[in-house]
Amino acid sequence: MKFGALENILESDGIIFLTYGGFLTQALISGMTEALELEATKNDLSMKITGNLFTIFIELAQNMMNYAKAQSDQHTGNESKGLIVVGQEHADKNSYYIISRNLINADDKSKIEARLKSIEGMDKEQLRELYRKQRKSGAGKHDHGAGIGFIEIARRCDTLEHAFEPVGDHRFFLTIKTTIHKN
Amino acid sequence: MEPLNIAATSSTPAIHLNTTGAISIVGKSYPENTFEFYRPLMEWMEAYFDGNAAEQTTVNMEIVYFNSSSSKLFFDFFDLLDEQRSKHVIEVNWIFHKENESALEAGKDFKEDFAELTINLVAK
Repeated sequence: MKFGALENILESDGIIFLTYGGFLTQALISGMTEALELEATKNDLSMKITGNLFTIFIELAQNMMNYAKAQSDQHTGNESKGLIVVGQEHADKNSYYIISRNLINADDKSKIEARLKSIEGMDKEQLRELYRKQRKSGAGKHDHGAGIGFIEIARRCDTLEHAFEPVGDHRFFLTIKTTIHKN
Repeated sequence: MEPLNIAATSSTPAIHLNTTGAISIVGKSYPENTFEFYRPLMEWMEAYFDGNAAEQTTVNMEIVYFNSSSSKLFFDFFDLLDEQRSKHVIEVNWIFHKENESALEAGKDFKEDFAELTINLVAK
């Protein structure tokens, strides 16, 4: 077995700062955030970029953790593990990306799809207004973030793409890719 | 009423609440369960304003970055302060690193949402 090939796969799409596949826990998320902080210091990134990177990473990773928890509560086995990758674009050294991929059920798909659709094409000011409105209307609700997580992500990135791929009859792979430009 | 002190972790801020009116929340905020984590703070604040408050309450908040459920929680925290505004002297210092634009924007959002509450945006 050529172990070198593994690194080539990861490097072929640019520089990977961090990649993790498996079951996410809070301890792993905070450990990975610390690793990203080290990378950011090493690469001399501005506070604005790092703040956006960390916030989006945490938002996506905690989303994955929460969906996985919900799935394992439904006894669907250990397939609820996800994949998260943080890297720098190969072709365009001026941007960073964060990709998350995890299994969700049909109910979550409709919720997420509606949330993503509602922010499609919005500019930063519109996102800011929607964020404030949602945060306010969710006052007192103990729901995870009152549905402002995706708005937060959209406010902090330059592009936000997503895809749903069906897995069997009732589940889907949700892949989200966000990019952040350096300038 | 006893002060409440909670040490910082890699994902939660240091919290210091004192009946002298000095309230501080400093660090990162992305707990696994935000509402559980902040419950002691919210309960302490309720009890504090219920007959234990100092003449002036100064809240120093310095949050490097936070997740969306913390954002929601901070909104509820400001809402609690806002409700006490007419009965108590309350001042909030939203402290941020001068290069941390997102922290400044977050401070501006809160300032606009709670226009009657004294929120100072303090760059350092």
